[in-house]
Amino acid sequence: MSPLAALVLLPVLGGGLAWVLDHPRLGAALRLRDGAWRMSMLTLVLETALLALVTFRHPTPAGPWLAHFYRPWVPPLGIAVRLDMDGLSLALIWLSLVLSLACVGVATRQVTYHAGVFHCLLLATLGGIIGTFLATDLFLFFFFWELMLVPMFVLIAVWGHENRQYAAMKFLVFTQGSGLIMLLSILGLVIAHYRVTGVLTFDYFTLAATPLPPMSSMVLMTGFFIAFAVKLPAVPLHVWLPDAHTQAPTAASVLLAGILLKTGGYGMIRFNVMLFPDAAARLAPIAMGLGIAGILYGAWLSCNQRDLKRLIAYSSISHMGFVLLGIFSGSSMGVQGAVIQMLAHGLGTGALFLIAGAIGERMHTRDMQVIGGLWRVMPRLSGTGLFFAVASLGMPGLGNFAGEFLVLLAIWPVSPLMGALAAIGLVLASVYSLRMVNSIFLAAPRPEPIAGADFGARQMVVFACIMAFLVVLGLYPQPFMTFSTPSPLPVAAGAATRSNAP
Amino acid sequence: MIMHDLFLPTPLPLLSCGIAIMLGSIAWRRSIRRNLSIGLVTLLLALVSVGSHIGAAPVDGAALFLQDRWAVYTAGLVGFSALCILLMSWRDMSGPRADTGTGPHIGMRTDPRTDPSIGAPNATLNATPAGASSGTLDSTSIGDEYSLLVLLGTLGAFAMVYAANFMPFFLGLEILGISLPGLIAYRQGHAMQACEAAMKYLILSGVSSAILLFGIGLAYAATGSLRFGLPVAGNGIPPLVAMAATVMILAGMFFKLSAVPFHMWLPDVMQGAPVPVAAFMAVVSKIAIFSSLVRYFSMGHAPPFLDTLLYGVIVLTILVGNLLALRQTSLTRLMACSSIAHMGYLLIAFYSPGPLQPGTLGAYLAAYTASTLGVFAAINAFATPDGTDGTTILDWKGLFFSRPFLATAMALMLLSLAGIPPGIGFFAKFEIMATGMDHHRGLLLLVLVAGSIMGLYYYLNIIRLMMVPPSLPAIRRGPGASPELTALIIVLSMIVVVGGLFPAFIIHPLFPAYQPGPPPAAVPTQRLTPESM
Repeated sequence: MSPLAALVLLPVLGGGLAWVLDHPRLGAALRLRDGAWRMSMLTLVLETALLALVTFRHPTPAGPWLAHFYRPWVPPLGIAVRLDMDGLSLALIWLSLVLSLACVGVATRQVTYHAGVFHCLLLATLGGIIGTFLATDLFLFFFFWELMLVPMFVLIAVWGHENRQYAAMKFLVFTQGSGLIMLLSILGLVIAHYRVTGVLTFDYFTLAATPLPPMSSMVLMTGFFIAFAVKLPAVPLHVWLPDAHTQAPTAASVLLAGILLKTGGYGMIRFNVMLFPDAAARLAPIAMGLGIAGILYGAWLSCNQRDLKRLIAYSSISHMGFVLLGIFSGSSMGVQGAVIQMLAHGLGTGALFLIAGAIGERMHTRDMQVIGGLWRVMPRLSGTGLFFAVASLGMPGLGNFAGEFLVLLAIWPVSPLMGALAAIGLVLASVYSLRMVNSIFLAAPRPEPIAGADFGARQMVVFACIMAFLVVLGLYPQPFMTFSTPSPLPVAAGAATRSNAP
Repeated sequence: MIMHDLFLPTPLPLLSCGIAIMLGSIAWRRSIRRNLSIGLVTLLLALVSVGSHIGAAPVDGAALFLQDRWAVYTAGLVGFSALCILLMSWRDMSGPRADTGTGPHIGMRTDPRTDPSIGAPNATLNATPAGASSGTLDSTSIGDEYSLLVLLGTLGAFAMVYAANFMPFFLGLEILGISLPGLIAYRQGHAMQACEAAMKYLILSGVSSAILLFGIGLAYAATGSLRFGLPVAGNGIPPLVAMAATVMILAGMFFKLSAVPFHMWLPDVMQGAPVPVAAFMAVVSKIAIFSSLVRYFSMGHAPPFLDTLLYGVIVLTILVGNLLALRQTSLTRLMACSSIAHMGYLLIAFYSPGPLQPGTLGAYLAAYTASTLGVFAAINAFATPDGTDGTTILDWKGLFFSRPFLATAMALMLLSLAGIPPGIGFFAKFEIMATGMDHHRGLLLLVLVAGSIMGLYYYLNIIRLMMVPPSLPAIRRGPGASPELTALIIVLSMIVVVGGLFPAFIIHPLFPAYQPGPPPAAVPTQRLTPESM
């Protein structure tokens, strides 16, 4: 079996096994505590090994596409199971796996309430996300795109916090509804291709060569853009995010913020900018305006939150604004910056959500004014928190800085005004990050003693790994920039697209 | 009719024989179980023989029936659904429910599980007098004619599906329409409600049949032929007559299909009917009438004045169906509204003829059938002899904890209806969108998206409710569903999942040979039933 198909199927199978292993009688028979947790850890380790195998073997270094998998699925409609991997997908899958390992390593062992189902859903979401990063058949892409939402919906609705049901419904209706608009666009593109060539296909590479009149390419691209903008999220479409992130259980928050949002950015690079370069260029001013709005609005709201998870959620909106800005800046530097920013934000915010979850578990609240003064009691937790808060405000030397700097550099020649406005976002970022650090870690400690232990060795190892990644990303981003550049489309397709430019 | 130009699709005489045998058996000695078994065997035989026929088809195409791919496919769906529905009714009819009389409803009120916030007050109120009346009925007499009526209704549906002439079509419609009120009134424990629903159906269906009949008469006046298809005005006849005929026939069909200006009756009637009968109305009669609608338009080109009309009907059907479903508290009512909306989606595909259309219609009908039947089977399995009958949505609260298997199956069916992978409904909706896109039905597709978003809300709302953890520790509710229902749910779930993951199986048989013109009467047909998926 091809490693790519295995990458997608392994989490799903592992999740199923985890569910089975959680059965009380089976667990007793095998003398296994935490069977589900162990199983998912094993699955993730296997998956990582598989990914390392794919990364470091070079059988065909000829093209930019590292691996390929093809199998027909619905031949009458030209639908195939088609998976391809380039540097961009590889980088994002690495991010997904690192975060999931951290998540399972730190946050999910405590889940005792139907732990098997929980791990199964977590791994199913991961499988869907990895599928989204790999699919190069548009139908398959959409299939995974929708498929990952349902397990996430269940995770939020069952294991979430007090207002979980509302948040879960909102999350699903927003993301699924926008997905349907993307489906219309996909079909529009396919039918347009069929009209011209008489071939019914959903193949990404073939469709990229479709000659389109400017008007319809604009309409089709907008359909894709709306779906990705909801996921990313861009500002007017972000309303699901604060609720979903706040109400989700820790592990689901990490997956949401760390990886799920990145599918939006990934989709924009892969399907907006690369499928419709001209239309994307025309939409760029609006998209960049939305990016700026997201940066400022998210940061501003983040400054005014008392709820720790909500603060982090709004800061995500602000950070993803930079991604939007970078993708539509029209230069490869901007896209590289956006990718670095996605990786750094995934690691940093994922870690922040893990810390918020750990605090919530110990203090049973997310209200920052109630938490107050953890430094004395839990120095290791607080130190870790400080590191990631500083990363989030864009401290030079850490990943976020590299990403934001590249984006600002790319945006400056396009529009200095936008550059300046985006830079204001950085100032606000330090306001909310430091406010968070102040009120949680540094404020006067609460009079009553705080129950709960500091981070143990296992947690510290996990966080140290994430920190190391962030530092490497910040100090030496060059290999990541060259490595994770999205592969250009095959020459023929690219030429066709260019020659059809109006 | 002279023997040598007799042409009959086999299921019709088979079902008639089965009905006759059943009548004889009832006359000899009443036994519910025996009748159910005869019904099952007959339906099974009919299902197996949907593709075969007796006699040779006349060459000039003037037959009463025809048997092309489309007819065979929809007949297969009808037969399969009827079989499932009879299986679903097995426990209701032969089980101990009829004997328990008023017991259940008293038990329901004192049951600690159903706290006041859950139990819908109407259901309990309505149930009390009705339960009392059901106690007075002789328990041995209940259900004997039930399978007879199901068989009769299926016969009507088969006749409609195979009809190539107005005569068998109308006869089939009436046979179906006559057997349904009887079936609707079978709801035990809710006799008043059921009778009300049956009366409503009887009267409204009579009115719509009258309109349809008038339309057929006008069509005959205009063309001088009873051939089933769009009337083309002959010489000397004003085109207005043909137009009026088409509009009246369409109105009658839309009424049976519950497209929007004529949709009012469906939620009321389905709510009043027993759950399997509601499934019968939502699936069998809808498929039959939809199949006829496609046949009616496949033999000729639709006149241009129909465009605006159809456009309006589709938009209204989708929007109103979904809007109505948003605030329902009764599950059967919600399914009725959602079925209205699904008919709207189907009409989009119907309204976009082209190379994609047959596959789309086939896939959507299969998806709709399997998922809807699945939901109704789950409702039936949820009902306990001493508890609720599962039609109140709030009763489903926390089901994932008390009956995880049932809840998972139900969630799967609802996801499929909402069009989320991996259910078969996802692929079906995708096909509808592809077909519509092919015809630039932009507005209709946007309406479809809006409707689907509303649909997401109300379908997922049920799933959300099922995931609310119960306040009391999970109680395993009595014995699980009866084995035949469990088997049925498993089969339907497998169809839904396998159909969703490998959809090529469903659309393949319909794809290659479909002529929009008059299809040749006796194509060497390929048998296709939902089980072959």
